[in-house]
Amino acid sequence: MNTDSGGHVAAMPAEAPAALHGRLLQVSRMATIGEMAAGVAHELNQPLTAIVNYAQACRRLLGRPGTDPAELQQALGEIAVQAERAADIVRRLRGLSHARQSDRAPVSVNALVNQIIDLVESDARLHGVPVSLDLADNLPNVLVDAGQIQHAILNFVRNGLEALASRPSGTGRLVIRTTVTAQHHVELAVMDNGPGAAPEVVGRLFDPFFSTKESGTGMGLAISNTIARMHGGSVGYRSNFPAGACFYILLPPAESAT
Amino acid sequence: MHKAAPTIYIVDDDEGVRSSLHFLLQSVGLTGHMLASAKEFLETYKPEQPGCVILDVRMPGMSGLQLQQRLNLKGATIPVIFITGHADIPMAVEAMQHGAFDFLQKPFRDQDLLDRIHRALQRDARHRAELAQQERIRASFESLTPREREVLALMTRGKANKVMAEELGVSQRTVEVHRARVMEKTGAESLAQLVRMAMELEP
Repeated sequence: MNTDSGGHVAAMPAEAPAALHGRLLQVSRMATIGEMAAGVAHELNQPLTAIVNYAQACRRLLGRPGTDPAELQQALGEIAVQAERAADIVRRLRGLSHARQSDRAPVSVNALVNQIIDLVESDARLHGVPVSLDLADNLPNVLVDAGQIQHAILNFVRNGLEALASRPSGTGRLVIRTTVTAQHHVELAVMDNGPGAAPEVVGRLFDPFFSTKESGTGMGLAISNTIARMHGGSVGYRSNFPAGACFYILLPPAESAT
Repeated sequence: MHKAAPTIYIVDDDEGVRSSLHFLLQSVGLTGHMLASAKEFLETYKPEQPGCVILDVRMPGMSGLQLQQRLNLKGATIPVIFITGHADIPMAVEAMQHGAFDFLQKPFRDQDLLDRIHRALQRDARHRAELAQQERIRASFESLTPREREVLALMTRGKANKVMAEELGVSQRTVEVHRARVMEKTGAESLAQLVRMAMELEP
């Protein structure tokens, strides 16, 4: 705010609201990815362990007379396969973290889910939670910024995994479901069988800085809400039958989107 | 007594890790038995089979820790070597508190793993030998007649033949006969050995 009357300091030049918004989304996306890093680290450790085992075995075999070269070839082939697997994990993470222009393109929500499912699964595995997909096959495309929608989905997933931490280990379940609503909107829902949201907090779930978790920033669901609105859609919560929470995002089909 | 070759079970849900461990064991002439889940292991494992288990802490379905609890409940004594990812240290600590033989963080040095397997198999063999010995003693003690058992009890308390004869109301000659039978049936070569055998049965 600039003013010519004395005593006021000129404020920082205002950043265009759209640019600021974009930066906030990017920061939030990186934070979400950071939270998922533990799962990715664990996932990366598996191929690395296999590579180390094969390499050490090869060294032993080479030190011994009469080793069959075919045996070494087999191990070296496996090393290559496992290194590819590790590279793939890194590629997926990088694909998600890239700052992209907000360019919207028609895409199926199912495809967006499939692109991040490995990442979701590695995070879920670390929590001991199996993830199942229930994707409708005749989804109309939506006109969206893929990264932003994936970000919203990841926020739902993380929210669900954290809610499931209170359950005895091995009993948590997470389902990602896509459906077409009666109004021909695409709904993506993330359902868990955790405790669900208490009735008194349901109205505030998507408020910024609202969190029932000690470590929560209260931004994940609020960001998802913002992303949905920017796309002419909405987010919501309903309780899941017979127990748990269901968070969903509704998006208009591509032809009607503005 | 038959002596089965020990089995090294490898329980890990990750196919890459599992196969690489198999290959590593093969490179030093050991045979691993691969299993993809705790459930598969429980279906395969026979308590009478000597060996050890290399167990991944974190698996879908029944985790490594839950499998360990199941084994403990069954009274299984097979040594368990846990392998864990970096983030799993608290789990590994818990596993050790519940009697795990050892744990290794992935990835590990091959020699560290092989040393642990070697030590685990040694412990398993020692434990099984102790159990077999106890079983032999128990069987020999159970083959004694009620009278011989009375004599055994008095012998291990260090009673002289004369005192035993009085307590049992029989002749010293009869006590001597019972005494000889006890030594014969248990295979003890001295009174001291007989006392040690009796002590092994009451830990």
